[in-house]
Amino acid sequence: MNTYVYGITAASHPPLPEGLVGIGDPPRPVRVLKESGLAAVVSDAPEDLRPKRRELLAHQNVLGEIGADGCVLPMRFGSVAPDDRAVTGVLAERAEHYKERLGALDGRVEYNIKAHHVEEAVLHQVMAENPEIRALAEANRKSGGGSYESKIQLGEMVASAVKAKESEDAGALERLLEPVADAVSVGPESTGWLANLSFLVERSSAEEFLAAAERARRELPHLEVRVNGPLPPYSFVEPGPAQPAGTAAGGADTGAG
Amino acid sequence: MTVVPAQQTGGGGGSSGLYDVLELVLDRGLVIDAFVRVSLVGIEILKIDVRVVVASVDTYLRFAEACNRLDLEAGPRKAPGLPDMVGQVTESGARGKSKGALSGAAETISDAFKQARDEASERETERPRARRTAAPRRKEEQE
Repeated sequence: MNTYVYGITAASHPPLPEGLVGIGDPPRPVRVLKESGLAAVVSDAPEDLRPKRRELLAHQNVLGEIGADGCVLPMRFGSVAPDDRAVTGVLAERAEHYKERLGALDGRVEYNIKAHHVEEAVLHQVMAENPEIRALAEANRKSGGGSYESKIQLGEMVASAVKAKESEDAGALERLLEPVADAVSVGPESTGWLANLSFLVERSSAEEFLAAAERARRELPHLEVRVNGPLPPYSFVEPGPAQPAGTAAGGADTGAG
Repeated sequence: MTVVPAQQTGGGGGSSGLYDVLELVLDRGLVIDAFVRVSLVGIEILKIDVRVVVASVDTYLRFAEACNRLDLEAGPRKAPGLPDMVGQVTESGARGKSKGALSGAAETISDAFKQARDEASERETERPRARRTAAPRRKEEQE
């Protein structure tokens, strides 16, 4: 029977909530494997595990449960070991490393911030700040919408101004929130957002962080800012900028494109 | 207990909040070489396009139209993000979202958990300890 791994905690972590279940249909009971002062939170792995929404949620839910009681190093979704012994083997082998990470992340949670532009608001800004665009828009309007070419020209100018604002606003958002966090991890880019930032925040500073996010919303009213957290420290499990799978921890070098 | 706005659920929808979190679950977190990872073939759900800035003729034309529609009489310096404006934008927005910037706060992980919990509670309503699944968020807020 393969073993599905949710995360790693200290062996001294409080016991799991009774009846906690994880992935699978029916959901598999969650259990703990202890080794070398560490505990792996696992369940049996269903044969046909697929990355479905309910499975992702189950993974996240188990981690949320454990994380509420203390620090957990969350596994990326879908980590399956051949059996329990393979899991304890890894714990024994890398015990010092995981203990160091648990220590570094103790009492801290992740908040993920994603933001995108409120289109009409950002268009207002772009026009307000750019006389050239304003003039062209005005000319187009006076000529009943303008020719195809002049519309394209206007649109291109606007698109490029909006694009510039995106990186500007992503930077502004990061600067506003960074002071209340211990660390920042810049997430992968996507067309879904202009900023995808994860912040490592001390539990005791969570309110300050959320207040800062509220202030950022007021200061950047042309952004829609989504705050998700507290979460297990997904983006901070490994130190340094060399995160796997294209995520960059603490790096500012993902700003291109 | 103190109010922690971003953790209160309220608004409907929440699907983008869910995606926001699932992106982390899928792409980050600890990876151990000795373990196999489930194939993620078919997971394209995260690449939702809520932003509309794409360098294409369609976008250019759309922007040009939008600029023509903008009420310059109200003044380009009218503070952006006023409630009425947000309301309009969300209607014309790519996803037709019916909420403004502030109610985005409601789109938290809690929504995702709520769904998971609802599913879970269908199975386990008679087991009080199991229903602890409903408590951890709140517990953290109180700390």
